Amino acid sequence: MTAAVHEGMWSSPRLRFVAAAMVVINGFFPAVWILFTSLKSEVELVQKPITWWPHNPTMQNYVQAFTDQPLLKYLGNSLMVALLATVLSLLVSACAAYAIARLNLKHRQLILTAIVASSMFPLVTLLVPIFETMRTLGLLNSYTALVLPYIVLNLPVCTLVLVSFFQSIPRDLENAAMIDGCTRIGTLWRVVIPLAAPGVFTAGILAFVNSWDEFLLALSLNSSPAFRTLPVGITLYQGEFSFPWPIISAALIVAIVPIAVLIAFFQERVVGGLTQGGLKG
Amino acid sequence: MLNKLKDPSEKTLGILLLTPAFILLALIVVYPIGKLISNSFFDLRLSGGSGVFKFVGLENYAEVWKDKDFWNAAKNTVLITLITVPGALVVGLGLAMLANLPFKRKWPVRLALLLPWALPLSFAGLIFAWFFHTEYGVVNDVMRRLAGSESTMWLLRPNWAFTAICATIIWKTSSFMALILLAGLQMIPKSLYEAAEVDGASKLQQFWQITIPMLMPSIIVALIFRTITALQTFDIPYTMTKGGPGNSTETLAMLIHKTTIEYLDVGYGSTLAVCMFLLSMCVTAFYLKRIGRSA
Repeated sequence: MTAAVHEGMWSSPRLRFVAAAMVVINGFFPAVWILFTSLKSEVELVQKPITWWPHNPTMQNYVQAFTDQPLLKYLGNSLMVALLATVLSLLVSACAAYAIARLNLKHRQLILTAIVASSMFPLVTLLVPIFETMRTLGLLNSYTALVLPYIVLNLPVCTLVLVSFFQSIPRDLENAAMIDGCTRIGTLWRVVIPLAAPGVFTAGILAFVNSWDEFLLALSLNSSPAFRTLPVGITLYQGEFSFPWPIISAALIVAIVPIAVLIAFFQERVVGGLTQGGLKG
Repeated sequence: MLNKLKDPSEKTLGILLLTPAFILLALIVVYPIGKLISNSFFDLRLSGGSGVFKFVGLENYAEVWKDKDFWNAAKNTVLITLITVPGALVVGLGLAMLANLPFKRKWPVRLALLLPWALPLSFAGLIFAWFFHTEYGVVNDVMRRLAGSESTMWLLRPNWAFTAICATIIWKTSSFMALILLAGLQMIPKSLYEAAEVDGASKLQQFWQITIPMLMPSIIVALIFRTITALQTFDIPYTMTKGGPGNSTETLAMLIHKTTIEYLDVGYGSTLAVCMFLLSMCVTAFYLKRIGRSA
């Protein structure tokens, strides 16, 4: 795809460098600033005027980030919840997407619209009854309490991405497999799923990021430290009157690295998936 | 029977495949909505021993109507939406146009757009709370260096806190806008610009006459989803100010969370949620109507 660019003033390489630098600084500055803060000692932090570059880098904040709060536990919980939610979201939405994309059903468009429209309901308004239901079922403070709503949260994006991938697979391949004696489910498993693997992967990353980032439900449903996820746990370093910013920064860096690595490796997939079924703010 | 399961007809298979999705939607969306509406007619409090459970009809709604906190939160929510959605659109469009230039290496720019998107909102809130710190924040430091201005008490003054929160939301959400708009920009045929060039159209004319109209479908998609999420704003004000100072930055989502999860007043919280739901329906309907007219 050729980019539609008006040359003109941007034809100069130097100005193009400035343009790139602006975008890069906008995107990376907050993370870089947090990295600097995380390496500063308490003494350096309260110097005025403030220092930008850490003069005496220290790793002490990272040690404290793990001892002041059970950061490792939070990481584990987040990973567990996000992975479970991702796998189950893919399973549920792959089934639905295949039915919508491939089977000769009435009201296919209506079914897809219903699934996508479900994402229009503000999650906050559903918080109250979900909280009440989980409380009645005794599921507050469990992985299930978060995984179930997260599957629904991911359902629209995953279904949209997968429907368009399934539609791009030639029907002849399926027909050939069936003529060769493969059952319909066998065809789905042996032919369609492997061919749709890139789509499944893209949908998976989107689902993972969505689940990893969710805050409101995680805050409301899982308040015990044993099941607390990372975004919620990280807000707890601040005391009533103290804000240990270097330690918070260190914890943030620890929390940002996994997700940053994930998107750095799979940039193109993520961008493709987002623009196809992008629903996340 | 077994044979039928092994190779079911299209219809059976279709129903089989759609069942899990619909069971989940029923459990997490449909049933809760019904429950929400019915709860809103009850005095239902879970705090203190056995709690309270009493039918009160429309009393909760009458109370919402008189509730200053509700109107304050509604005002804040609508203001945040009105400021941050167009704000993120403008910033996002700028970023998208810069990112659309022909760079030799594309990944640094792409990653710079993806990182803010992937960052949890709560992290963005924490990071920017530190940026806007009165004594040691980088924002005040830059302002002092550039303009020699006195330290602004960003998060301690209602209007400044509101500004800081809006700025954070715009930063966090504009990169998603930029990604959607960038995909739209790349679909515009280059020949349109070449033709305009031949006809002697200026860059500004090209922007308004070609770029914006061709980008309209992407802009609308981005706006709809951004508006829906803006109305639900919770994470960023919660991590930056907890709604303070006072309740000057409290959003509807925060009020609902406080009422139900902290005070365990499920009945009144449900009523608030129904009102919020109606509000977001109004906004969505307004959008769809406007879009229908312009399309």
